Amino acid sequence: MLIDIRARILYNNIMEDFNKSFNKIKEKIESLYPNFKVEPHNGGIRISGEAEDYNDILTAGNLAVDKVNSRGVINDVVLKNHEYKPMRLPEVKDNSLEGAKPDVLIIGGGIVGTAIMRELSRFNLDILLIEKEYDLATAQSSRNDGMIHAGIDLKPTSKKLHYNMRGNALYDTLSKELDVPIRRVGQYVLFTGRLQKLIYPFIKSRSRKNKTSIKFLSKEKIRAKFPSTKLNYGGIFCYKAGIVSPYLMTVRLAESAVINGAKLSLNTACLEIENNGESVVSVLTNRGRIFPKVLINASGVWSDKIAEQAGDRFFTIHPRRGTEAVLDKKAGVVTNSVIGRFAFTGKSHTKGGGIIRTIDENILLGPTATESPDREDEDTRREELQVLFKKHGEVTPLLDPRQVITYFAGTRAASYEEEFIVERSPVIKNLIQSAGIQSPGVTAAPAIAEDIAKFTLQALNLEKSAVLKDNFVANLTTPPRVNELSLEERDALIKQNPDYGIIICRCEEISKGEIIDAINSPIPCHTLDGLKRRIRTGMGRCQGGFCAPLITKIIAEQTGVSILEVEKKGGGKILFEKTK
Amino acid sequence: MNITEFKTIVIGGGPAGMQSALSASEGGDSVLIIEREEKLGGILKQCIHDGFGVIRYNEKLSGPEYAGIDMDKVKKDLNITVKTQCFVTDLYKDEKTGKFKIFASTESGIEIFVSKFLVLANGCRERTARQVQIHGSRPAGLLTAGAAQAYVNLMGALPGKNIVILGSGDVGLIMARRFTLEGAKVLGVYEAGSKPSGLMRNIHQCLHDFDIPLHLSTTVTRVFGNRRVEAVEIAKTTEGFQIVAGTEQIISCDTLVVSVGLIPENELAEKLKIKMDPKTNGPIVTEYMETSLKNCFSVGNALHVHDLVDDVSEGAEIAGRYIAGLPPLKNKKRIHEATEYEGAEVFGKEIVCTTCPNSCILMAELLDGGGVKVAGNKGGCKRGIKFAQYELTTPMRTLTSYVKTTRKSVPFASVRTEKEVPKDKLFDIMEILKTTVIKTPMKRGEVVVENVLNTGVNVILTTEVY
Repeated sequence: MLIDIRARILYNNIMEDFNKSFNKIKEKIESLYPNFKVEPHNGGIRISGEAEDYNDILTAGNLAVDKVNSRGVINDVVLKNHEYKPMRLPEVKDNSLEGAKPDVLIIGGGIVGTAIMRELSRFNLDILLIEKEYDLATAQSSRNDGMIHAGIDLKPTSKKLHYNMRGNALYDTLSKELDVPIRRVGQYVLFTGRLQKLIYPFIKSRSRKNKTSIKFLSKEKIRAKFPSTKLNYGGIFCYKAGIVSPYLMTVRLAESAVINGAKLSLNTACLEIENNGESVVSVLTNRGRIFPKVLINASGVWSDKIAEQAGDRFFTIHPRRGTEAVLDKKAGVVTNSVIGRFAFTGKSHTKGGGIIRTIDENILLGPTATESPDREDEDTRREELQVLFKKHGEVTPLLDPRQVITYFAGTRAASYEEEFIVERSPVIKNLIQSAGIQSPGVTAAPAIAEDIAKFTLQALNLEKSAVLKDNFVANLTTPPRVNELSLEERDALIKQNPDYGIIICRCEEISKGEIIDAINSPIPCHTLDGLKRRIRTGMGRCQGGFCAPLITKIIAEQTGVSILEVEKKGGGKILFEKTK
Repeated sequence: MNITEFKTIVIGGGPAGMQSALSASEGGDSVLIIEREEKLGGILKQCIHDGFGVIRYNEKLSGPEYAGIDMDKVKKDLNITVKTQCFVTDLYKDEKTGKFKIFASTESGIEIFVSKFLVLANGCRERTARQVQIHGSRPAGLLTAGAAQAYVNLMGALPGKNIVILGSGDVGLIMARRFTLEGAKVLGVYEAGSKPSGLMRNIHQCLHDFDIPLHLSTTVTRVFGNRRVEAVEIAKTTEGFQIVAGTEQIISCDTLVVSVGLIPENELAEKLKIKMDPKTNGPIVTEYMETSLKNCFSVGNALHVHDLVDDVSEGAEIAGRYIAGLPPLKNKKRIHEATEYEGAEVFGKEIVCTTCPNSCILMAELLDGGGVKVAGNKGGCKRGIKFAQYELTTPMRTLTSYVKTTRKSVPFASVRTEKEVPKDKLFDIMEILKTTVIKTPMKRGEVVVENVLNTGVNVILTTEVY
């Protein structure tokens, strides 16, 4: 009970208010769900019990939110007769990390974890990032629409807004340093009813508070922009919105960190954390036990589970699945930017997505928003795809379901507070948490990383003495992309290396040279799906039908293994056996 | 960057491209074939099964053999230049000169080509699983029939051991047989429509011969498994291709192969702003295959998806001869539409004749004094009678596969039995081919295994090993 007592002491000044609020919440929840138990826990409110209906769990969780007096909702109510899917774990087991004593251990190779890794690599520290999947950016950071958010829909006092605006501002430098293209295309937000334009003054005042510039768009302007829209009530335009490839950004952040001395271990899962109630002592992984000075939790949909193991859980992730459809580049006529629709609630998760022209010029529809008890439920459903077309068909009749080339789903790491957690733990002194990061997490990640880096230096007692490395390399040298070169540059490049002349992925026009570069990049990539995220092979309209066999061969040649060993993704081998 | 001029440029070195080039060069004008892959032949390179050329050559050739005939002609034709591993990155028609300008990426740099005539012979691509609303996860083991064909036939490796196939188009059916012969189990072929979409002869010789079940009005709706396919969900469909709720069933498998249609590849045609036909997804053309853009032609599967390569070559020939200023050749005898037996009397056994793509459905019965009574063979076709006789006594099939070579250029070389062999010997011959290795250069048609299993039939090479 040590943790509980420490938390109570830390939150002593608000205990009285907490008690008042707690009693009210307890009463409300227990009157609705008499078999749920509500109790104070670790400065927050814990609910436990069993429910028949998942919605009851969510309702109770939402009722327990008190952002002023409570640290958060700890919702331990379990769904009856539901077999919770366990965390996907890597197959590999070895001792490669046994006894490692990094200054900083980061759990999670999404955009937040890698942004932190890069930020910390500016200092003379021993940094290790572990990611349980076979590659970076396999969860929210790739199952994502890649928007750099303008922040108009965020609450002025929220951390989400704070980090979003700071992150948004950092993107231009980051784009240049890491050679990750971004486009500041702005965002159209369409009104969905006649009366909404009346509240424009309120939206305008919100935009001033949020420090994001907008302009009003009349019905006529909307009509001129989207000639056959059914949603012709006017709208607003947000200047600061932009687009980026979130997975390329994640990979490049990590590459930059690795070049600057940070270490990365893929296929490495945190299995157990040893804490003594005051600090984290060690982290057991499938590759040995690690003894970090500071532990950073950036583990996305699993962040509450990691928090619990580390000794300071005060929030709950309730996964929210989103599905997105990817349309052929030919559908790009629909828009060259981002089209959203106005929602009164101001909660980003109720928007249900928009129409986005991605940085790679496909049209993306979505994401939808469906609560799901399973954290890694990344399956798509027929109904959800239909919803996307029904909804966005209202915005423009130009959307043609026959232009869909693929679709995907992912789960957002939503907390009941619907707020980011970015803090040094008041309970476990060497634990720093970046949790509950969902939309606008991609935008916010670089800003979150700045603060997490500060907290880390504090936890290491280095906030005053830490020195920036003088040999930190901010600019990442990246391999060429042939279809972005001029004819002369391309010709010269091919004359240096003929592999750049051989086109392997015909839909996206990717050369053999680029594939070899990606395979041998600072963070080597040996899977078909990993290459997709880096160079877009197989991302086009044939979805790898032509190039997958060729790339399989190239990976085998480059890595010196049999084609039978080549994987689509971690643990997913493409071929079974030789026939002859 | 070199600029080279030709009278005609053909983009695509498959059967359509090669034939149009051959015909266009007949008048003595220069022709360039641009091929993005390492070798000419297009998709025929991986179609090692037989059945090609029944109209043009009156023979059941394998894909590489059919392509090989054209490749030999192209090689001999001094007017034709071939650029392989040459990928068109951009093209336009110069309004002033009326000529086409083409930019291409090759191993030696960017090359620029100019021509008066342009033939688009880019072929087609496959519709993917996602394009037919297959949901669930996206693991390894979910692939198109064409990709599966490349893995098996060109790379000599099986992408699965327990395979479900969606789509009863010819590629799907042929892959069912290829998988089975090469040692995988095909659990079933599922077809969302109420009728199979492939040729009857393929239903017969690819599925019935190997007891592979065909499930009509059934489709695959979902894939399970994170890293590798673990199972698929199937469901019944209505005539309007809607899923019938409550009919879902889970089938354990490690691979889902989809063969759900082909789409003409016309990204280059679209760049040239050529008028397209929304029905075929290919350009609108004249009787000489000329598109809405003067001097630009479209042939082969880029124009529309063809059932028979013979028709592809014929269309390409029309375009090529027109470019050369030559009159069109008289058409070869056309195949009739396949019909079912409509005689008054029903007798004997129902047999699908696999001799030609007609796929006649025969009624056949052995007569007491020897000989056979056959009905349903169109025009009293003699090959149909012969087929029925064998089918009722010793069913005979041509076996196609490939053998290993020690030559780097062709690691696996396609082969077939020169004539048909008894059906019950197919797997025994496969065993022999497993251990057969070619170590020296060999020409198409040369004998790889003599008198295989004492059948009196040789196994011959259907491609070139060099």
